[in-house]
Amino acid sequence: MRRAVSTGTALVSACLVVAALAVSGCGGSNARTNEVVVTGSTTILPIAEVSAEMFKEKNPDTSVLVSGVGSSAGIESVSTGSSDIGTSSRDLKPEEENLGLADTPIAYDAIAVIVNKDNPVKSLSKQQVKAIFEGKITEWSDVGGLDGSIHIVNRDEASGTREAFSKIVMDKEPFDPAAAVLPGTGQVRAVVAEAPGAIGYISFGFLNDSVKAIAVDGVMPSVETVFSGAYPIQRTLHFFTKGAPTGLTEEYIDYVLSPAIQDTVVPDAGFLPVSQGGK
Amino acid sequence: VASPNGENTKSGDLQLVSRWTYIKETLLKNTFLACAFVAVMGVALIFVFIGVRGWPVFTEVGAGNFLLGRVWSPSNEQFGILPLIWGTVLVMAGALVLGTPLAVATAIFLSEIASPRVRSIVRPAVELLAGIPSVIYGFFGLVMLRPIFADVSGGLGFGAATAWVILAIMIVPTIAALSEDALESVPNGIREASYAMGATTWQTISRVLLPAAKVGIIDAIILGMGRAIGETMAVLMVVGNAPVFPKDVFSPLSTLTTQIVMDMPYAVGIHRTALFGMAIILFLVSMFLVAAVRLISRLGGED
Repeated sequence: MRRAVSTGTALVSACLVVAALAVSGCGGSNARTNEVVVTGSTTILPIAEVSAEMFKEKNPDTSVLVSGVGSSAGIESVSTGSSDIGTSSRDLKPEEENLGLADTPIAYDAIAVIVNKDNPVKSLSKQQVKAIFEGKITEWSDVGGLDGSIHIVNRDEASGTREAFSKIVMDKEPFDPAAAVLPGTGQVRAVVAEAPGAIGYISFGFLNDSVKAIAVDGVMPSVETVFSGAYPIQRTLHFFTKGAPTGLTEEYIDYVLSPAIQDTVVPDAGFLPVSQGGK
Repeated sequence: VASPNGENTKSGDLQLVSRWTYIKETLLKNTFLACAFVAVMGVALIFVFIGVRGWPVFTEVGAGNFLLGRVWSPSNEQFGILPLIWGTVLVMAGALVLGTPLAVATAIFLSEIASPRVRSIVRPAVELLAGIPSVIYGFFGLVMLRPIFADVSGGLGFGAATAWVILAIMIVPTIAALSEDALESVPNGIREASYAMGATTWQTISRVLLPAAKVGIIDAIILGMGRAIGETMAVLMVVGNAPVFPKDVFSPLSTLTTQIVMDMPYAVGIHRTALFGMAIILFLVSMFLVAAVRLISRLGGED
């Protein structure tokens, strides 16, 4: 008798487990069609997140999941199908060009070279910036500053900002390997804000009063100088999709390109809308 | 109550009431065996996986270029991990130098000096240190300690010295708990004999208890060493992640574990293989440390 009861209980619980699995399986597949997964550049995060929230308000049944893991990881994840949109603040590398990714530029960005607010240096040539980040100029006094060593704050190699900086400023010459490497724009800004001898670079969109931007080749980074093309360190921000975007993914991208985002969110984040971007 | 199969009836500690109970017992025994097997399989699978993925680095880059190369620059196809090994050793050694006296003294205090009341406060506090997620240590190091080191050194504050302080605190619970066990396993008779000879507390601790608990304390230090070598997140946040030989302890450097984390998101091809190669090195080091603990314990037991 006891045996029969326990066998019965076991059967019932087994049935329950199977039923639960079946239900959760269904839930998962339903949610999938109403979901856009956006992964990639931390630079694009502010635009992607705000437009995701606004998009969800207009389309309450949908969900747009945004995460920032770096441009390379974003491209990797859209090409393997783990996400619907891979955001990138750099262009595709040659080996990434045959992955079948479709490119939608969504904004333009400039990279600001930043120093501590107490640093008297106001302007550097692009060549001086390059020499500093190569480790060839190591003293602030060599570029018109106070006595003291230059402490470089670099980004990690997965960073799109680093990729763009390397291409535009460094001509692909290697960075000083002894430089500190930090895994985020916010960290670079926080460290430069505290350390008197530090120099770093961040997206124009992340520039704030805690640090001082340097004029490069005599041009300060600003919406005007980036727009006119006068500021020398600037780049394009991309949404990559596997093939041409379809369905909800396409709707989301169209929304990001619409005036609702381009005229408000993009400039608020410190970037330039694609419609006006001058390159 | 009669047992249907007649087994174990004499021992008296296991009364088989029915065939069903017997089946249940066998099932349970096998379940536990399976659980233990999962752990062993986990280690074996990880070892095989890392080995298969990482082994080509020794043929494609070459063992000499890999282990003794002085430049880690994946974009230029240079995969020398000597600076990373040096960074790992430097960070670990400093943490042990700072952390071991702290931890062993804590263990002595808890085991020999503290009153039960004080012990009931201090011991949970030390145990709590082990429960704090390492990212919290890293954050503490980044936000609180790094600026202090930056002021002292005039640099950015990223470097081995900052990691030493963080890691020293992190390894205290490991070393302290195991050292305390070792001290408490010294028979009370030995303590009493020492005091009976007129020895002071300090003489008893330094001349009698520490030598008697030596093997256990060395084991504790080796396991602390393993913790220090393997710690990743907290170290990552304070070392500055520059894969070079640092010019001093206040300059950015990188360790094996932190470099794996920094590079893994974007590494492809031989670069990724090299990261698995570094994982092989870490795996071998940790196997060596576990073996060392077992060997020392066995040799110590024979004394």
